[in-house]
Parts: sequence; structure tokens; C-alpha cells
Amino acid sequence: MPELLQLLVNGLMAGTVLAVPAIGFTAIYAVLRFPNFALASHATIGAFGGYVANTAGGLPAWAAVAVAFAVAGLVGVLSDTLVLRPLRPAGAITTAIAAVALNIALENVVRFVFGNDHRGYDLPLQRDWQVAAIRVGPQQFQNLLIALVAMAALFLFLAFTRTGKAMRAVADNPTLANVKGVDADRVGRLVNFVGMGLAGVGGMLLGLDTSIDPLTGFRVILSVFAAAVVGGLGSIPGAVVGALTIGVAEELSLVALAPAYRTAVGFVAILFVLTLRPRGILGERAY
Amino acid sequence: MGVVTARPLLSADGLVAGYTATDEILKSVELSLQAGEIVSIIGPNGAGKSTLLKVIAGILAPSRGSVHLRGVPIHGRRPREISALGVAFVPQEQNVFPTMTVRENLEMGGYVDPHGSRAKIDAIFARFPPLAEKRRHAARTLSGGQRQILAMAMALMVEPAVLLLDEPSAGLAPAAAEKLFETIRAINQDGVSIAVVEQNALEALAIAHRGYIMVDGRNSRSGPAAELARDPDVRRVFLGG
Repeated sequence: MPELLQLLVNGLMAGTVLAVPAIGFTAIYAVLRFPNFALASHATIGAFGGYVANTAGGLPAWAAVAVAFAVAGLVGVLSDTLVLRPLRPAGAITTAIAAVALNIALENVVRFVFGNDHRGYDLPLQRDWQVAAIRVGPQQFQNLLIALVAMAALFLFLAFTRTGKAMRAVADNPTLANVKGVDADRVGRLVNFVGMGLAGVGGMLLGLDTSIDPLTGFRVILSVFAAAVVGGLGSIPGAVVGALTIGVAEELSLVALAPAYRTAVGFVAILFVLTLRPRGILGERAY
Repeated sequence: MGVVTARPLLSADGLVAGYTATDEILKSVELSLQAGEIVSIIGPNGAGKSTLLKVIAGILAPSRGSVHLRGVPIHGRRPREISALGVAFVPQEQNVFPTMTVRENLEMGGYVDPHGSRAKIDAIFARFPPLAEKRRHAARTLSGGQRQILAMAMALMVEPAVLLLDEPSAGLAPAAAEKLFETIRAINQDGVSIAVVEQNALEALAIAHRGYIMVDGRNSRSGPAAELARDPDVRRVFLGG
């Protein structure tokens, strides 16, 4: 029983961190209507941006996360403007395939600059906290807080700013948003900055727990995609619910499965949702 | 024809338009709207009534012909420029942002001109109490009639000179439709000129000053609304009476 509880706590914490890139993925989908699988390499780029700020720049982890956001966000705007945007008129499938290609290219740029080695952030050594029978690492806990702050900031931005509302309007009804005078190109650039920025934060938070290498983002993209699909593609609250579901399911799978099969959880979840409820838990429509 | 002497507020001349280069939905259409007028555009399905409004609103560019607002050409401009000039378009369907609240929908209605938005929203809530009651509800939770009112209220946020309504009563129960037509007349009495496309021909002519009948992408008849509504030919063909 205590093991189950420990797995549940781990799952909820992992799910909260997973929610950050999943929100990025679903936000980009909501506005631009294609699954941007290049999110994986942007998570990696964010992780490395934060790494440089942390190790060479001497910033503490929580401050380096802001650098991860900015670097991944800027690369996201650039890569979309140069590569994906010109292809969008050709349709969602074409753009999604191009995003996979873009992902491979960017991943290799990271490999070219930083090499294949695993690298660790410069973090103070801390002993795990123990509450009753549950162990929690202080770094894990800090990651949880950073993830919550990032999500809260995004919710405030979307709920209370003119630009955030314009973004939701385009996601809700692009034709009407155009009639009402919203500049769809500007919103497109913005959602790439925010969405890929969140991917960068997610990549760094995952790296803080372990280490980073050029495949950091690639390893989690399936879980990110599964979280977005399970919650309902295009729904931000859905991405949070989906990420918590996947996070907990992946941890609980360890009771019955070898850790190597953990990634299968994402596949199974996608399969289940697409069969039983294609619009996901909180999705507005089926795709 | 009614006596038309002043320069019209809005006029469309010889409009030809379609969704692809080869398909012409509008084959040659004229329309004029005087300041302070309600004009109803009626006709069978596929006559091009909605297409006409989309061309005026800038959603569709005409391949030939022109649209003038106060004598200034506006055809070929982008929807948001036309909206900023004072022509507000209310689409037939999907005319609200479903997951946003009623209040946020109104804010988006006034997106091009956010100054004084708060006061305008308060004025709209005072005028349409059902919207005020549901100000924090998502627009998708509104009834059909309330949603149409919200869509019109969003258009009013830019204080338009011209309101273009595309089948506002479509899909509404008779009582809700009647209330909607009352609202349209009240908005007109505040000085907004309105062009309304309708299937509900009798009701549309009842609130209008003048009417246009379109058939197969062309003007068929036009004249004072009361005359059209009484004309036996018109009644037989379009009104089933």
C-alpha cells in the first residue's frame, strides 16, 4: 500500500510537469490546427538553453527556466515562420509530416553543438524529504512549483489580457475572429512562442530530474501527445487532466510491467481514447 | 420603387462573385441602402443572398462590380478594414465564440476599437437583460435566440453605421424569431441601417422599408416592402400564400 501511494504521488508530480509541454502542444493545435511534433526538439533546445544559463551563466535552476522558455519560444517562432507556415495551406497532414522532419533537423543541430553526452544541471545536493512513508525529492518539489507557476501565468494571460483573449477567439472560431479584426498571423506567431516556450520549460524540468541529451524531448513526445489526445486536442484544461492521467498511469504501470514498457502506456491511452471517446475527456469536438 | 434621391449610405453595383474562379453565384446584383433604412433580401435557397452579404463584408472578393460606403469604394478590402469603416457583419452560423463567456464575446466584438469598451458593454447589458444575466456563462450555453442577440450585440460594439444580418431567424422557434425581429427594429430605430437576408420572407418584409427579391444570382424584383408583401406573384412564389 505505501508503494502504491508513493507511485501515485510520483505520478501526480510527473503529470504536473508533463502538463507544461502538453499545454504547449494543445495550444498550438487549437490555433493552427495541426499536431506540431517538432515540439520534441524545442523541449530539448529549451533544456539546453537552460543548461547553458545554469552551468555557464550561473543562474539557479528556477531562473534558468525563464531562459529555457525564451530560447525555445524564439526558436519556435523562427522555425514556424521559415519552415512550417509556408506549408500550412497544403493541409494539416503535410504540415505535421514537415514538423517531424523539422524535429529531426533541430535535434541534430543540438547534437552538432553539444554532442551526444548526457549532461547534468548544476544543482545543490539535497536529501529527500520523508513524509510518513512517502519520499519526495526537493528538486521534484521545486519542479512541481515551477510547473504550477508556468500554468498559472498562462491561465492568467489567456483569461485577462486582450492578446490572450484574441488567441482563444482564433482557437474558437477563426473565421469570426478574422471578421472581428484579429490578426491571425500575429496570433500564430504568439502561440508558437508561448507553446514552444512551454515545451522548453517542460524539457528543462524533465532534465532537472535526470540529465539531458539531444533526445530529451523525443523521449517524452509520445507522453505529451497522449496527454493532449486523452484530454481532448485543443483543450488546455484537457491537456492538464490528460497529463495527470498519463503521469499517474505511467507510474502505476510499474506495479505490473517492467519499466521498459512504460512508454506503452501512452500508446494504449491513445488507442483507448480514439476508440471510445475520440474528442477526449474535455475536448469540444471529435477530429 | 420608393423615391430615392439622396446618395445611398451603402450601394452595390453589378456584383459578380463566387467561391471559385469558374462558379458564379452572384451573376449581377445591385443593392442600395439608405441611411436609417431596413432592407430585406429574400429569395429561394441558393439565390446568392448570403454570398451578397459576404462580398459586402469583405469575406469574399467580387470578380466584378463595386461596393461603395458613403460614396467610397470598399470592395476588395479586408474584413477588419470594412468593419472599422462601420459595416458590421453577423454570420448566420458560428457567429459567437462558443467557449468564451458572453462578456468576452462582447469584448471581441469591439476588438478593433477597445476604447470605451466597458461602457459599451454596460449599455448592451442594460439593453439586453438576458445577456447581462448570463455574462459569465460560455456562449455555447445560450439558447438559439439569445445567441443571435449576442451575435448582433457583438456587432453593435463597433457602433456600426450598417448592420448586415445573414438569416438571423434561422432555426429559431416562432416566439424567439418574433422577439428577434423586434430587436432588429429597435436597433434600426437607434439609427443603424440594416440589410437583412431572410428565409422567413413575410416577417422580413414586415419589419423592412424596402425589399429585394433575388433569384439565381440576380435581382428579380425590388420595391417598398409593403408592396412586395401584398403582390400576388410574390406571395405565390416566395411566400407560399
